[in-house]
Amino acid sequence: MLRTVKPKNARSKRALDAREPKEIEDGRIAIFVKGTKTSELLNGVMKDLMALKKPFAISFSKKNDIHPLAAVNAVSSYSSTSKVAESSISSLEFWASKNDASLFLLSQTSKKRPDNLTFIRMFNGRVLDIVEFGAENWVGIDQIKGPKSSPGHPPLLHFASELFTTHPRYIQIKSMLMSFFTGSTAMTTEDGGNGGLSLKGLEGECVVSVSVAPTPPTLNNATDSSSSPTTLPKIHLRTYITSVSSTSGSSRSPRLELTPMGPSIDFVLRRYTNPDPELLKQAMRRPKVKKAEIESGLGKKRKNLEVDQMGDLRGRVHVGRQDLGKLQTRKMKGLKKGMFDEGDGDDDGDEDGDSEEENEGVKKKPKLTQD
Amino acid sequence: MDVSNILAEQAQRNNDKSTEIETESTLDVDAGSITVTDSNPIDSETYNQNLESHLLSIARIGTQALFNSLFSLPSVSSPDGPLAQLPSPTTHLPRAKPLPKPKPPTKWEMFAKAKGIQGKSKEKRTKRVWDEEKQEWVNKWGWKGKNKETEEQWITEVPMGADLDHDPRKIARDERKDRVAKNKKQQESNLARAQKALTSSDRESRKTELERTLSMSRTSTASMGKFDRKLEGEKKLKGVKRKFDPAEGDVAAEAKASLDLLAKMNSDARKTRITQAQRPNKKPHLGAPPPSLTGYISSQSQEQPKIPEKRKSLMCAKRFDSLAKDGAVFPWAGKVTGANQWAKDDKSIS
Repeated sequence: MLRTVKPKNARSKRALDAREPKEIEDGRIAIFVKGTKTSELLNGVMKDLMALKKPFAISFSKKNDIHPLAAVNAVSSYSSTSKVAESSISSLEFWASKNDASLFLLSQTSKKRPDNLTFIRMFNGRVLDIVEFGAENWVGIDQIKGPKSSPGHPPLLHFASELFTTHPRYIQIKSMLMSFFTGSTAMTTEDGGNGGLSLKGLEGECVVSVSVAPTPPTLNNATDSSSSPTTLPKIHLRTYITSVSSTSGSSRSPRLELTPMGPSIDFVLRRYTNPDPELLKQAMRRPKVKKAEIESGLGKKRKNLEVDQMGDLRGRVHVGRQDLGKLQTRKMKGLKKGMFDEGDGDDDGDEDGDSEEENEGVKKKPKLTQD
Repeated sequence: MDVSNILAEQAQRNNDKSTEIETESTLDVDAGSITVTDSNPIDSETYNQNLESHLLSIARIGTQALFNSLFSLPSVSSPDGPLAQLPSPTTHLPRAKPLPKPKPPTKWEMFAKAKGIQGKSKEKRTKRVWDEEKQEWVNKWGWKGKNKETEEQWITEVPMGADLDHDPRKIARDERKDRVAKNKKQQESNLARAQKALTSSDRESRKTELERTLSMSRTSTASMGKFDRKLEGEKKLKGVKRKFDPAEGDVAAEAKASLDLLAKMNSDARKTRITQAQRPNKKPHLGAPPPSLTGYISSQSQEQPKIPEKRKSLMCAKRFDSLAKDGAVFPWAGKVTGANQWAKDDKSIS
């Protein structure tokens, strides 16, 4: 597609090229937006999360009248198309395109939903999904004494609860928080990145641990996922800083100690939207594995190999096409090649060896009677 | 003196020092995205007792497992210590932007591909060339570019009998400017072609799809569209015309076609379609029994001598069609029969 904005000089061309879609993406840029009314707690939460997200963070200092979930009621189904939600979403998309951002964090407090924190994820300049939390029990970075991690490193992530693999709401929350906290995938060498993770840098690294309150028995029993948000257990987000000590054992990895760093926040689950399936399908598309990487053994499809029910590895071998021209049919004395040639030299088309031999079984019978 | 206390304390300390984790099997470590997921259910007792210490302890166990897997990854040395080579992440997160589209090929690239010309790729091409006179690397174009050499040298040769206003510098400059203009024009036409291909391919497919739907709807009435009211200027529907090979043709090709057909019939795909009733060990000239009378066939086949496997296919082929019975499948070598036509028909059916 032709670019609508034509860069006027080399510098702006480079800037625009940097925004083009890439196979290996950079870290997602998050915009921190304030709603019409925010509380002290929310301001602190936003400040602390921004400190964790830096340098991929942009702060909007002014208040904005946006309510992207206005059309969603408590059970997360669109009740009606609301003008408020439409205009909020369009302004979110505008900000995303202006700032090349794909995440939003919106803070807003109201009587109905005190200390509301909304995570919004974008794909291709459009809103993919939204998750809303109520923030509680915030303890800021400044309130906890001790060493702090250096900004710019993506934190280690830890999720604890079986709900993160079973319950759809928590799976979405895990995916959202991972999108928020993880950086670029350029560190992974197999995806074509050329860097690596510095093992020395793991000392003094930030760990974001996300845990859930004990699963209530109703969640275990109920098969449907439409239980009301009040019954869903709380989420505890804690941040720690790593310190390593040498091991006593023979293992390569050192013994790890964690000390609280802050912030620590508890989240209550509130409204949410599920991603549009068509949009999600596009967003989940992955680049093809490169030829050179296939040769080095990555992503190679193991063809014609399968493990049967007994656990044995079974293979299939291709033996090539059967040549029916060399098919051995009934052996008869009269049909021997040498005899045949001597017997009737004036016969038609013996020279055509290929088809002749194959046709023997069928055509010879009438021939002999003819003779 | 009771030493058991001291011993227990020592054991505890040793235990603390270790990097072992008891519940590693339930920890799902995704080293690619530096994430660990602990799918153990939360213990409500410790949770209620002391929340912070409970959270810290599970976070420590999980992070230790993550550390263990990170340190066991292959690593390369660098000035900043070892770098772990991370695998690709197992948790797939939605992308922020769609995958980049491949660049449309330029006219030259298409031509080079068609002709099999392999030049240097764009990545391998360098902007600099070695200058023998200056004994240094210079730019091919751009700042102090080699293509501006004649224009910028302080003395230039003038051929004998040249005009008075002959200016070699101006000529060189004009030539260079012309080349630049030509290249720009080509670039633009490449862009325009890519744009056109993008829109027209979409349009073309839409057109064929529409035509297909229209023709299907025209024949979807009870009378197959015979009594439908026709629009003015509506064209008559064209069916698929059957085509036949000439009756006299290449004998070798004919034999090959027959053999190919035979091989196809003997293939697995064909075998699966042959039901019990159609098995070759059934005598067709006795009057073929309906397929439901399989008992009859099995009793028949018991009496008959077992036909060798290889002949089965031949017989099967013989009975494949009524035409085949006449020996059309196996034409006499050198003779021309209707087999060619038959084989062609069969292809169009299958």
